[in-house]
Amino acid sequence: MDNKLKLDIYRKMLLSRRLEERIAELIKAGQVGGFMHAGVGQEALQCAAIATMRPDDYLLYAHRGVAYWVARGIPIEKILCDLAGKEGGTNRGKGGVMRVVYPKLGVLGESGTLGGCFPIAAGAGISIKVKGEDKVVLCFFGDGTSNRGTFHEAVNLSAVRKLPVVFICENNGWAVSMPTERSTAVKDISARAAGYNIPGKTVDGNDPEAVYAAVKEAVDRARKGLGPSLVECKTYRLWGHWVGDPENYRSREEVQKHWRRDPLPRFERKLLDEKVLTDESRAEFEAEARATIDKAVEFMRSQPFPKPETALEDVFSESTAG
Amino acid sequence: MPTITYAEAIKQALVEEMRRDPSVILYGEDVANFGGIFRITAGLKDMFGDERVFDTPISENALVGGGVGAALTGLRPIVELQFADFLFTAGDEVVLKAGMWRYGHGGAYRIPLVVRCPSGATATGPEHGQCPEAFFMHAPGLKIVSPSNPADAKGLLKSAIRDDNPVLYFEHKLLYATRGEVPEGEDFMVPLGKASIAREGDDLTLVAISAMVPKALKVAERLAGEGHSVEVIDPRSLVPFDRETIIESVKKTGKIVVAEESYKTLGVGAEIGAMLMENALEYLDRPLRRVAIPDVPIPTAAVLEAFVIPNEEKIYQACRELLS
Ligand SMILES: Cc1ncc(C[n+]2csc(CCOP(=O)(O)OP(=O)(O)O)c2C)c(N)n1
Ligand SMILES: [Mg+2]
Repeated sequence: MDNKLKLDIYRKMLLSRRLEERIAELIKAGQVGGFMHAGVGQEALQCAAIATMRPDDYLLYAHRGVAYWVARGIPIEKILCDLAGKEGGTNRGKGGVMRVVYPKLGVLGESGTLGGCFPIAAGAGISIKVKGEDKVVLCFFGDGTSNRGTFHEAVNLSAVRKLPVVFICENNGWAVSMPTERSTAVKDISARAAGYNIPGKTVDGNDPEAVYAAVKEAVDRARKGLGPSLVECKTYRLWGHWVGDPENYRSREEVQKHWRRDPLPRFERKLLDEKVLTDESRAEFEAEARATIDKAVEFMRSQPFPKPETALEDVFSESTAG
Repeated sequence: MPTITYAEAIKQALVEEMRRDPSVILYGEDVANFGGIFRITAGLKDMFGDERVFDTPISENALVGGGVGAALTGLRPIVELQFADFLFTAGDEVVLKAGMWRYGHGGAYRIPLVVRCPSGATATGPEHGQCPEAFFMHAPGLKIVSPSNPADAKGLLKSAIRDDNPVLYFEHKLLYATRGEVPEGEDFMVPLGKASIAREGDDLTLVAISAMVPKALKVAERLAGEGHSVEVIDPRSLVPFDRETIIESVKKTGKIVVAEESYKTLGVGAEIGAMLMENALEYLDRPLRRVAIPDVPIPTAAVLEAFVIPNEEKIYQACRELLS
């Protein structure tokens, strides 16, 4: 990974973290009504994996956090408008912050039911293959979501048709109150790849370089027409399941232990050691993130709510193939 | 009679029935250790142990299908889905297995299964806010209940648990915190298939389902102030459906409005309309009016959601139109 890429991933991790902190403040202050699953602690893997993508690739992100969108380059004021259910977002108030969409960059959207993403990812893979393109699909999902039956159907289909899909599991140890070891029979979810005869790899999801290398390998393979892969990123959900979760099901000690492995300061230290980052440039990035967020929040505040009757729009498309 | 919330009433029914019958078990996502994402089942694992109350992986097909299998073999499972919308996720198991296994096998088995389905729009969008009862009314073999108050929530759930058929039990999220008097004791039951007349009246029949009932009662009160006597009927169970109570009411009033939180086309109101065409056309002196969601998915933004979800004003306007 060259220094430019490292810095780019670092900046996006930082911006994502600060954005979520701000969103949590807005929600707690009752200033926006949206519902948010924060991704604090998972930014490294999300930003690094998405850094492997070409602009014309497809993305199915999971429900956890903003870093996917930040990493993909969706303007953050749009994310905030979606959160607030205002105009100026990406989905006209229809889907909230859980359905940020950005066709220009292949961001296909989000399934509100967990596991809805897998068949859709396979379908995008079918499309790429039929059209003879060399794009790939990245499909993110949680450890809990890996237990939906759709996972089996879609991964097997992708494997037998050699579809260019990279399945990226964010194993953060929890699904709401359910610890992974009680929900999931295998220790490493990547072990399931054997059942589909595809490559499977587990990496430290809090190490952006390790994630980048593993996902890049899978992406390259998919691009060459060699089929899907499964990459499991071990990480931890540092905040509650949603903003406001009482978290009465896990110990403070466990959470504290994982804060010491927080990927953001860890990557920061590494980049400082490597002199890729300096105290000055670090401070600049912080200031830049704050300014970007302030501006985006201002924009969001200035935007109107959608006109109520637009609720009736967007059900059917008016066009036909002619 | 103690006054408790709808949520507490549901829990009371669960506790009483689990105490009464060791074959009753309860499982779902986050129900045991966390106590359910809506906190309905808090403490049940400690009361009944983790063979009878347990957390499952995120696997809706296995949850509902597992309920069918356990019911076939002698248990009375209660499956909690986190949102009623996930009935579609488990569609095969709900419609084709729970609803059709018994019939397809010539009545060889009974399927005493309850699926608890938190329903209703709360600004969480198209996949977490539906009241999808009508979809499943169309599917044969499923009983369907939608209580609107704490007493019915308790009494209907107890009947559902003791019933030997699959019952989809819709608990409206916006009703959880509402309070009402609820009879104590094991013997309090509300039978499936019996409507309740929530308010008597002579000029117009207002049928309301689930969270529409409290709204309908307010509308009836407002119209009373304007000199109109409105009868509010709460069907409580949608399958089996108490047609008689509605027909009798319409014979008296000649006018009917149906308020529901489902999509208009082929919703509950459509079925009631067709039923009246078949059974009571001669008594209707005005056309039926339906207050329902225009046929669009439920949008997430609060302003948009408010536009599509039936409210008191829309129900009032529909009634006014018939009363003028
Ligand atoms: C089919 C379905 N079941 C349940 C839910 C409710 N739900 C939303 S997030 C979540 C936990 C997901 O866990 P995991 O996949 O590990 O992702 P994480 O939240 O840990 O990022 C649950 C149960 C849902 N949205 N869809
Ligand atoms: Mg998880």
